[in-house]
Amino acid sequence: MQDIMAILPLLATCAGAILIMLVAAFETFRREGISILGIGLFAFAFFVQLTVENSSPIMPYSAIFNGMLVTSTFTKAAGLIILACGFFSAIAAQTYFTQNRWFVLEYYCMMLFAACGMILMTMAAELITVFVALEIMSLAIYTLIGCDRRSVIRSEAVLKYLMLGAFAGAFFVMGSVFIYAGAGSTRFVDIARAVSEGGFIANPALVGGSLLIMVALLFKAAAFPFHAWVVDVYDGAPMPVTGFMATAVKTAVFCVFANVLLINTELRDGWVGYLFWISVLTMFVGNLIAIGQNNLKRMLAASGIVHSGYLIIGLVAIGSDTVSNGAVIFYLAAYAASTLGIFVALSYLGGEDEKRIRFDDFNGLARVRPYSAACITIFLLSMAGIPPTAGFMGKFYIIAGAFKHGFVALGVLGIISSILSVWYYLRLIISMYFREPQEEFGVSEMTLAPLGTFALAAAVFAISFIPVVI
Amino acid sequence: MINNYLALSIVLFCLGILGVVSRRNVFVVFMAIELMLNAANLGFVAVSRLHVNMDGHVLALMVMAVAAAEAALALAVIILLHKHKGNLDTNIFSLLKG
Repeated sequence: MQDIMAILPLLATCAGAILIMLVAAFETFRREGISILGIGLFAFAFFVQLTVENSSPIMPYSAIFNGMLVTSTFTKAAGLIILACGFFSAIAAQTYFTQNRWFVLEYYCMMLFAACGMILMTMAAELITVFVALEIMSLAIYTLIGCDRRSVIRSEAVLKYLMLGAFAGAFFVMGSVFIYAGAGSTRFVDIARAVSEGGFIANPALVGGSLLIMVALLFKAAAFPFHAWVVDVYDGAPMPVTGFMATAVKTAVFCVFANVLLINTELRDGWVGYLFWISVLTMFVGNLIAIGQNNLKRMLAASGIVHSGYLIIGLVAIGSDTVSNGAVIFYLAAYAASTLGIFVALSYLGGEDEKRIRFDDFNGLARVRPYSAACITIFLLSMAGIPPTAGFMGKFYIIAGAFKHGFVALGVLGIISSILSVWYYLRLIISMYFREPQEEFGVSEMTLAPLGTFALAAAVFAISFIPVVI
Repeated sequence: MINNYLALSIVLFCLGILGVVSRRNVFVVFMAIELMLNAANLGFVAVSRLHVNMDGHVLALMVMAVAAAEAALALAVIILLHKHKGNLDTNIFSLLKG
């Protein structure tokens, strides 16, 4: 019974997805009804997750289901972020569908299934459970990207993501085989015991297996050697789906990453040296890609790579002793609020068929729609890390943690990278405020997305008040 | 004896990687990915014998179920692409070259 209570948010999300699937079969429910139902179900699952109590909040593996899943304050916070991302992406999708005059009923059902996979992923404490959750999430996301079947670009984006994602998934499974061979089990507790008894470097199967698993996770997290797909896939996906991928998927992947690194200190220390360089290269390569972009969506995708770099700093520097990984989860929340905010704003400002997508297309937005422009400015400043916002606090906690644990070089490089990133964020602010408007930025109907944008702008400030221990 | 099965599993996995990297037809690339997953399944069953417990068999079944779901989606995507382009060569899918 305790076990069932702990996974209640997962069950609520899954039941919601099935409910929408069944309801979609009836003729009487059309676009508006299904959209409101989808948004409502995300809100419901959010409150279920909020009310779930964790009996033992700090233990690293307070296991349920016989050690297959774990719940802690970390997984609870991650679940809240994922469901909030789903809620705001659903609001963005409702507006996007109204503006683009196409709709598939299964869209919200797929979003809920993706959220279900993500929540399972944050809780998983066994390698094949991680794999199954990863695939539940990925298959739903592939479908979401390709749900506009008329468009050739969307189909190509699905192909690219599907092939590379399945390739990375195969690496993950092979890594699990190696770890199963080395440790005799795929459960995290047993792996931890095997490592502490037999050593990590002395066991080639464990080293090889964890390498393959790192490759798969770095691929999903869009870190340096495996970042090339991100820009193309984000560019090809519909706007609300891009926002959902950039925030919720990243949260789920980094939770698994943190959980895997928490297995054992020796295993973690074996990889920290490599993760150091990966995080540095991820930040600087991401910045170089972002500076060269003319398309707003591609710029945001590249800035997502840079933020993965900061999160890896968090994983490298903090971790073994701070079990709840507060700084990482705080950064994920701050990043999710600001990135999703921009995508929600773009899904109603983008116009029909995403015709406004380049920097120049937003010239003079502040004259025509001052409130939307102000919100976008808040989001961009938060992503760049300018003081009163959540993005600044997130960067502060991560970099302060790096200094505190002796990774001074990493902290300094993180600061340099965040100064570099101001350049491309300011470019959009300059075109919005200091150029003459060329068009009206007409929005066809008043819908929910502007409200969602204002709520997220408020959240950017509200999140910065959450206290974090580093 | 079991070492041979593990070696075969690794060889199949490497053949799969080679197929993904070198082939230009979407269909063949997808088959290579399936080969990689099945190599892992063989590895699971072999290691299961090595450790004399049944976990590996169950894990192999799980992976098979996921692979089937993935195959269903991938075949649908392949049909969709064939409708759009009439060809399955990866070189013609070039709208998203950054």
